[in-house]
Amino acid sequence: MAIDIFWRIPTHGEPSSHRSRTPFRGDWSPGDDSKRKPGLAGSGGDGFSYIDYLAEIAHAAEISGFQGGLIPSFPMTDEPWVISSVLARETKTFRFMIPFQPGFLNPVVAARMTASLQRATGGRALYNIITGGGGPQQLWWGDAVAHDDRYGRTTEFLDILRGVWNGGPFSYHGKFYQVENAGLADPLSREEYPEIYFSGSSDAALASASKHADYYLSWLEPFEQLRRKFDRVKERTQELGRRIKTAIRVDIVARPTEEEAWEEIRRGFDSLDKSAVENFQRSADGSESVGAARQRHRPATISSYKDLIIEPNVWSGFNLLRGGQTNGIVGSYEQVAERLDQLVQLGADAFILASTPHLEEAYRVGEEVLPLVRGSANAAGLRAAG
Amino acid sequence: MSIEFIWQLPTSGDGRYGNAESQRRGERLSSAHPYSPGVTDPRGQSFNYFDHLHQVARAADLAGFDGLRIPEDPSGDEPWIVAGYVARGTRHLKLLTEFEASRGSSVYAAKNAVSYQRFTGGRFAWQIKAGAGEKQRRAQGDFVADGDRHARIEEFLLVARGVLTQSPYSFKGRFFEVQNGGFQGALGNQKVPPVYLSGNSPEDYRLSAKVAEVHVFDAVSAAAIEKEVGLLRDFAKKEGRQLSFGLRLDVLARETEEEALFDAERYWQQPGGRQAGGAPTVDQRLWAGLTKDNTGAAATLVGSYEQVVQALIAYFAAGIDSFLLSAVPHFEEAYRLGEHVLPFVRSQVSPEQRHALGALA
Repeated sequence: MAIDIFWRIPTHGEPSSHRSRTPFRGDWSPGDDSKRKPGLAGSGGDGFSYIDYLAEIAHAAEISGFQGGLIPSFPMTDEPWVISSVLARETKTFRFMIPFQPGFLNPVVAARMTASLQRATGGRALYNIITGGGGPQQLWWGDAVAHDDRYGRTTEFLDILRGVWNGGPFSYHGKFYQVENAGLADPLSREEYPEIYFSGSSDAALASASKHADYYLSWLEPFEQLRRKFDRVKERTQELGRRIKTAIRVDIVARPTEEEAWEEIRRGFDSLDKSAVENFQRSADGSESVGAARQRHRPATISSYKDLIIEPNVWSGFNLLRGGQTNGIVGSYEQVAERLDQLVQLGADAFILASTPHLEEAYRVGEEVLPLVRGSANAAGLRAAG
Repeated sequence: MSIEFIWQLPTSGDGRYGNAESQRRGERLSSAHPYSPGVTDPRGQSFNYFDHLHQVARAADLAGFDGLRIPEDPSGDEPWIVAGYVARGTRHLKLLTEFEASRGSSVYAAKNAVSYQRFTGGRFAWQIKAGAGEKQRRAQGDFVADGDRHARIEEFLLVARGVLTQSPYSFKGRFFEVQNGGFQGALGNQKVPPVYLSGNSPEDYRLSAKVAEVHVFDAVSAAAIEKEVGLLRDFAKKEGRQLSFGLRLDVLARETEEEALFDAERYWQQPGGRQAGGAPTVDQRLWAGLTKDNTGAAATLVGSYEQVVQALIAYFAAGIDSFLLSAVPHFEEAYRLGEHVLPFVRSQVSPEQRHALGALA
């Protein structure tokens, strides 16, 4: 099967380049109004809001050939269910990948929301089920269930979602959720079940993913480590009699030449405070996330951006330049396409790509990189040769 | 609060003139060709009922309504998704979105509300309903006892308002919990959705007195409404609060009374209309139960434009500020009321006039 390539919607703010963490576009900035970009609409009182800018990115992504985009959800961001329903009517092919934690919604309500969103978009809704890094943030959301229990809850939630989807009647008595004679009404029950991308690297997560996920979604890890992880997920799932695909969420910096791409990183790195680098090196974040821990390698000294190059075209300092994951791909258009193809060879079936600023970079990556990616054609050729 | 007219978005099906049967305009439920083979149909699968909902929302905005009620019906489309879907196509309408407190975490509802407020310029509002009896609610994944429904709504609102207005906010109750919650930066200080509640029991009144901005009554005569308004106002006074009052009412207005009565009779005799039990109870132009199965309204006001205008003014005199109206079909009737009824009610009432009108009544 040909691979799917998604983009990302920057709910967590949009500085105008990787080299700078400020100012931010539109009316969203990380808590400090002075960081808003002057001169752009949407910074208050003019009738525009951040959704107007996000709509531009969704259009850029769909016109550039992306499947759609991941719409991240954090305590400080706007919510993906709202963004998806608000942009439903003014997009044509953009698929809305909605991350949410099953603990926050009644599964029957979630089923109706999803079926209605499918109806509103012509079947363009899909999920990124997350189960929570935990720590203090989990209680911020009002959720006191412990880490490993939450995966059990996720499994129950998806059992019910599946059970009611085509009309039921469906009854279920779980530890966290119960329903009796539930089912979606016609015509909601005619909609296609959403594709499920599943995140989580712990054993509890893998057990839940094996049962319900279409795609197992990982951040970028060192390539061999990632191959072993994907193999393990696929083995676990096969034991349960299911097949699962894999996907990678990764930031990229692609430029006409490799030198230009690294220059972008160098300028970003050189503008950092010394303390930011020291914090990065310690980087104890208190999260229960196993995925975050798997990305955490730190050399003994970091004196140049080059100390964070962990394999060809992979830089392990992205979260110095913006929030989120550590590893990203840096290189010429050809090199970035080659690295993506290399990841397809080791098992990736889909990508969620991102680059800052998401608007201009959607066009750049769509026009310059995607045409160079061979995708599954490449994988099939290798399989035949092997 | 000044007078407001809120139109209804028929989330679980609309009707047609002279046909009471519920149907979803735009929806193609069978692959059969809708016309004879000799006639082309260019639509394919390009449209469904959401296109009609968009049309109705635009109609209400253009016809001068102040808001749109998006009702919760387990067999219909989900109101929060519908609210988002019509948000960008409307400019002025308050989006009064109905749901039950069983929908999930109160914090998550509040967080979603923040984005709605940001994207609509503060037009998002909540109507929370207690919901059906235990058995039906179990099919919605809700196992809370009937006697706990009001306590849950109260706690839901306490927590939602807490995180919307304070940071950090912590609470641990019977149904909801949050620790160091609250919103900051661009998400902070967004408008708290105004809360509309309804119901006729003393429990409903007590809850509204404590936490509602608007209590919505089911349609009964203006005299009966005036009495209930007085009762509920006393409940609220004991809580040290004030609230305003709404009326959920269907309208069948025509140029002449004869036409209105003819259409009401025809509707009554239709399949899908209320034909069981003989003639409807009619009191002061109110036909009880005429369109309840289609729209949820307890009664329909039937009359000429002028009669309907006068009846609405009488409700205003009785204390009603929010008119939650609907009529089948919702698209065409939004224009009719916008042209023939709303301007004439508006031109004859103002809050200062209520006292005088009340004295006349």
